[in-house]
Amino acid sequence: MTQVVIIVVIIAILIALGLGLLGMLKGGSAGSDKMFKSLVIRVVLSLFLFILVMFAAFMGWIEPNVVMMDASTLK
Amino acid sequence: MTTATATAHTDDHHGPEKGLMRWIKTTNHKDIGSLYLWFAFTMVLIGGAMAMVIRMELFQPGMQLIDPQFFNQMTTMHGLIMVFGAIMPAFVGLGNWLIPMMIGAPDMALPRMNNWSFWILPFAGGILLSTFFMEGGAPAFGWTFYAPLSTTFAPDSTDFFIFAVHLLGFSSIMGAINIIATVLNMRAPEMKLMDMPLFVWTWLITSFLLIGAMPVLAGAVTMMLTDRNFGTTFFDATGGGDPVLFQHIFWFFGHPEVYIMILPAFGVISHIVPTFARKPLFGYSSMVYAAASIAFLSYIVWAHHMFSTGMPVAGELYFMYATMLIAVPTGVKVFNWVSTMWRGSMTFEAPMLWAISFVFLFMIGGFSGLMVGIAPADIQYHDTYFVVAHFHYVLVTGALWSIIAATFYWLPKWTGKMYNETLAKVHFWWAVISVNVLFFPQHFLGLAGMPRRIPDYSLQFADFNMISSIGGFAFGASFILFTYIVIDCIRNGKPADARPWEGAKGLEWTLEPKAQYHSFNTPPTRALIEKESQNS
Amino acid sequence: MNEQEYYVPSGTYWPIIGSIGVATLFVGFANQMHGASWGGSIMALGFAILVFMMFGWFSQVVKESTSGMYNSQVDRSFRWGMSWFIFSEVMFFAAFFAALFYARQLSVPWLGGADNNMFTPELWDGFRATWQQIAFNTPGATLQSGTAVSVPTQLVDAWGLPALNTALLLLSGVTLTFAHHALRAGHRNKIISWLVATIVLGVLFLGFQITEYGHAYHDGLKLTSGIYGSTFYMLTGFHGFHVTVGVLMLTVILYRVQKGHFSADNHFGFEGVAWYWHFVDVVWLGLFIFVYWL
Repeated sequence: MTQVVIIVVIIAILIALGLGLLGMLKGGSAGSDKMFKSLVIRVVLSLFLFILVMFAAFMGWIEPNVVMMDASTLK
Repeated sequence: MTTATATAHTDDHHGPEKGLMRWIKTTNHKDIGSLYLWFAFTMVLIGGAMAMVIRMELFQPGMQLIDPQFFNQMTTMHGLIMVFGAIMPAFVGLGNWLIPMMIGAPDMALPRMNNWSFWILPFAGGILLSTFFMEGGAPAFGWTFYAPLSTTFAPDSTDFFIFAVHLLGFSSIMGAINIIATVLNMRAPEMKLMDMPLFVWTWLITSFLLIGAMPVLAGAVTMMLTDRNFGTTFFDATGGGDPVLFQHIFWFFGHPEVYIMILPAFGVISHIVPTFARKPLFGYSSMVYAAASIAFLSYIVWAHHMFSTGMPVAGELYFMYATMLIAVPTGVKVFNWVSTMWRGSMTFEAPMLWAISFVFLFMIGGFSGLMVGIAPADIQYHDTYFVVAHFHYVLVTGALWSIIAATFYWLPKWTGKMYNETLAKVHFWWAVISVNVLFFPQHFLGLAGMPRRIPDYSLQFADFNMISSIGGFAFGASFILFTYIVIDCIRNGKPADARPWEGAKGLEWTLEPKAQYHSFNTPPTRALIEKESQNS
Repeated sequence: MNEQEYYVPSGTYWPIIGSIGVATLFVGFANQMHGASWGGSIMALGFAILVFMMFGWFSQVVKESTSGMYNSQVDRSFRWGMSWFIFSEVMFFAAFFAALFYARQLSVPWLGGADNNMFTPELWDGFRATWQQIAFNTPGATLQSGTAVSVPTQLVDAWGLPALNTALLLLSGVTLTFAHHALRAGHRNKIISWLVATIVLGVLFLGFQITEYGHAYHDGLKLTSGIYGSTFYMLTGFHGFHVTVGVLMLTVILYRVQKGHFSADNHFGFEGVAWYWHFVDVVWLGLFIFVYWL
């Protein structure tokens, strides 16, 4: 569940970033506004995602891919 | 814009410089287009010479002339040079020459970068060809450079090959960016997207394919480079990687690449057929949508090159059906060309002969493509001469055919002179007969089970191989005549009219007979655009 | 420049210099890898030529831009060019992310016998095909190329430097946004301070990244540590390279802001670089989540 939320937020970030690109492409004051607003959204979403990941990890909902471990314990 | 106004701008302060520096420093789309075309032509001759060596070795069974290692170098370099050195640069050259004139723009959007796209190529080609003189010889693993043949078991020269591919990739990406910016930003203000000639449309779509696919190839060769030199294990199962991963990444590039080489060809044919049928192009908008669908589908069918590599059955089925789907938009195009010709007042000048034979022969390649796209049948066809016949029918009698057709069609506009029609017809019949003698028997060889990329073969394949080789030598020789016709046109051709083909439509024909160095300094009017539009 | 006219630049030497530079760089690099003692110097020479070319080419463009030789059409061409260049970068990273997902979801489980319902014989003693142990599971193994596999004693901890670095880079996105806002509002001093903050954060990120590489390398996690090491270093390495380029571009932009090259409603140079930085930022976020967490 947490993973789905994370993926959805990532997709939202990518969309915001893409809209920013379209704004830049458009140019002019309207394009400039669009670019700036999309990039603000992407920054806010990114911060939210980072906090979400940290919190989810803290709560134990997700685990790191590679757990810190010593090679000796595996043998 | 009338021809008279255009003349006024011919000799402005940006006129061509003199001597070699003109070509090195040029930012003019026509100069750069010519450079591309001559580069591609040189590469066709070099790659063609390698094909001649291959056909000589295969003339008879048994080892004849060269050792197997060198034979493999020949097949590999022939493929790489023809794909990356000949066909792609030739189309970029045509695009450079024609797109600004077709959309009523004075030049490409980013002229300095345009120069760089070209001037990387000779260096890349030089590095690629220099591998022949290195220890271990040139790459010999086939143009698809599958791991681990290209990683663990390849000579040191492979690293130079990798960098050459990087450079070719830079060049293509910059060329594609330039074409997108040109078409979308430099178009005459009065020209809507659906007014654009089909060559412009297909090149625009091709550019998106290039930008999506070439960086992936760069990623693949980068992984190869680190696998070879820095001990990474992307394509090595010992460290948890997988050689099959290489095939996935390669063909994710490789399949769009196939359409990169054929979509501009579709565009060329869509100009020539209406001209000589003296009818508007049938189904203009469906042509545009078909090209776009082909481009989209090309990204989701890559694993049909890997049916015999091993894949879950569900995967084989998906890739098989997705592949079949491409036949629909391609069929739309073929039917549109045929419908354009239907009840037209057709004449058969050289460009039209090439275009009609394109439709016939490309269709043969398309149908054999459907055959190899059928997963269960492909197990039989895979890695045989049937595949060789298939992709030579689409690339030689498809892509190359359209390039030659385009050369004859637009040569009057490039040089202001007319080529020798009689010689061009002789050349056409010579080439079209010999190319079929060359490639058609290869279907039979493949179905009988002759594997590709081998220097020697069993006795039962001897007759067809000899026929194929004879066709090959004849086809190779046809390029001597082609060279003569082009040079003869440039030097001694009779002056051509501004619109040498009476049925031709398009803004480029409103220019002077030899398009001036800077055309369309002021954009064409709406009335002119509508008059010259293919969509009417 | 007149809005009705097209701009066509005259001939230029920069591209051919660039071609010579990049070809020299690659030829030197290839020879360096093959053990030629002179390879490194040739490579450095090629790099120098390339830097010279970029500096010259870009200063010419900046000069032409500030002297008003470009109209809005040229500006749009640059926008299209930059956007599609970045898209090609996205596709380049996509290839490496694809390799990561493929290895983690498919090839490593296959090595453990997944999906084919067959017993896969152990590749070597103690082999276990799980992602988090793939790097540990290759003691004594050699690769096809004959290189010995480097066995790390421990792997990178997601909680430590990576999390800190993510925070730093995200913060740089925030400061850049403030700079962007200041630019649009026309407060030059604020732009400069926020840009400096962004550059400092970028440099800090790079410093910590180097530290992390140092730790990992010390613990034996190398490019030769199987597919884990391969994907880890290639993804983070290419990202680090892009951050370096981004920092350089931001520095140029800082210089140009000080020179007063941009106005509140015309600042494509800034926008292009800003978007590039946001892109690099998002790539890192993706890296952080997919390499370390999901």
